[in-house]
Amino acid sequence: MPLVRRDADDNLPGEERRENQRDRAGLLEQLQDPRPAARRRAAREIAGDATAMDAICNALEIETDAGSRHAMLTALLVTGGERAKARLLQLLRSEDAGLRNGAIEVLQGMPGLAGEYMDGLLSDPDSDVRIFAVNILESLRHQRVPEWLQQVLQNDDHVNVCAAAVDVLTEAGGPECLPALEALPQRFPDEPFVDFAVRTAVRRIQGPGGSHGQ
Amino acid sequence: MGSELRDGVASPGLSGEDFARFREFYYRKTGNWFDEAKRYYVDKRVLARMGITGCDSFREYFVRLRFDADGSELQALINSMTVNETYFFREEYQFQCLVRSMLPEIAGRKRPGDTIRIWSLPCSSGEEVYSLAFYLLEYWPQVDDYDVELIGSDIDTAALDRAREGIYDRRPVHALPEAVLRRYFRRLPDGRHQVLESIRDSVRLTRVNLQDPLETRAYRGFDVVFCRNLLIYFDDAARRRAAETLFDALKPGGYICLGHSEFMSRISSLFRPARFPEAIVYQKPEEADQ
Ligand SMILES: C[S@@+](CC[C@H](N)C(=O)[O-])C[C@H]1O[C@@H](n2cnc3c(N)ncnc32)[C@H](O)[C@@H]1O
Repeated sequence: MPLVRRDADDNLPGEERRENQRDRAGLLEQLQDPRPAARRRAAREIAGDATAMDAICNALEIETDAGSRHAMLTALLVTGGERAKARLLQLLRSEDAGLRNGAIEVLQGMPGLAGEYMDGLLSDPDSDVRIFAVNILESLRHQRVPEWLQQVLQNDDHVNVCAAAVDVLTEAGGPECLPALEALPQRFPDEPFVDFAVRTAVRRIQGPGGSHGQ
Repeated sequence: MGSELRDGVASPGLSGEDFARFREFYYRKTGNWFDEAKRYYVDKRVLARMGITGCDSFREYFVRLRFDADGSELQALINSMTVNETYFFREEYQFQCLVRSMLPEIAGRKRPGDTIRIWSLPCSSGEEVYSLAFYLLEYWPQVDDYDVELIGSDIDTAALDRAREGIYDRRPVHALPEAVLRRYFRRLPDGRHQVLESIRDSVRLTRVNLQDPLETRAYRGFDVVFCRNLLIYFDDAARRRAAETLFDALKPGGYICLGHSEFMSRISSLFRPARFPEAIVYQKPEEADQ
């Protein structure tokens, strides 16, 4: 029989068996282990421990292995709470594109969580953060997405944030967004590209032969 | 039995607050998330467990559940909550993909005599992991050149007991070709079918909770993982955790097959889609570290 069964699965190397009994202090230390797999495991095992939040985030900020980043971001999410929110928002401001994208990916994949954060993100004083927020909306499955985008078009004072919202609507907008879209060029009369972008979006939304109000 | 006893009684069910506490607890233990639409499903099972354990109030039962030293009540509860629906050769195109595309590629990276490890998680009552065994033996010509290790795991110990016994009635075997049924099963006097002992003995069955990092850490070095129709019960965070665990369980270049309504791309960027003629599966990048 070519099928073989090996029952002794506890053949972990001794070192790892010891790691199995790691306490919190040991896990925190393991977040700095030179082996990425060990850091990933530490992040997974410490997830949920609110007191470890800052240690996880500090490790995340210097992490270079994609898998370990993934696990640390997850640990952040799973632990949740105000501190996690604050640190995740900081990540959106990171200069490191990998980290920023990791944070965006987490929020995109988690409609419930992103929903909680979205109002705050869209009113962040930093226009780059607001642009990331609009990028998150692009692939977020959440019923309030059209509402958020319309809010941006109506209220955001930064032309690049509005332009990002127009881009999203060009791909995914419905007829309910048309009034807010069509009103946008009047808010930025000195920016001719807004008018152009809006016309493209409106044409896409209406489809061939369609026109507003029909 | 317990649930039937209670069914006829117009039981009050759990209060909104009890339901909320219960589902949070159950979620933390298993990653399974019940939305409001599942209230009746949950109520019915919790009330049944309360009846069996002789608890008069949810509060009493919940205390017992949390402080139950050997975890046996939690296990009994889990066994009653899980959905074990499965059958032989379910989504057969993935088994075809395994023998026609994935295994030839994996074998290309190995030498004859090497081990190929395949994990069926969750395996429920065994149909999936035995399907893998039949498929390999029947349809993979190179099977004799390698040592193939098949491991089936599930969180549900009752389902695993059924898998060990390997006895099935007509329904789960309906999709099996007659020849496979004849070759790998023995017909019992009552008309049911039992997987041959030689096959049952060659498959290892273990209890594993995919959400528990300590329980899963010994599972490593897999070439292929079948993780089908489990992620649908998890919420987003639990799916992400599951993806991470499976990533560590796989060898670089290893493959993972999900159920037809499950998509890795929405959960995690750790894997790459691998498009084969028979199916799209996901691959741990070859350059990833172990
Ligand atoms: C619908 S069955 C899927 C069986 C088979 N893979 C298939 O696709 O036919 C789902 C199984 O997932 C198991 N399960 C649920 N939560 C689990 C967890 N956290 N870890 C491992 N198995 C789990 C249940 O016990 C159940 O047997």
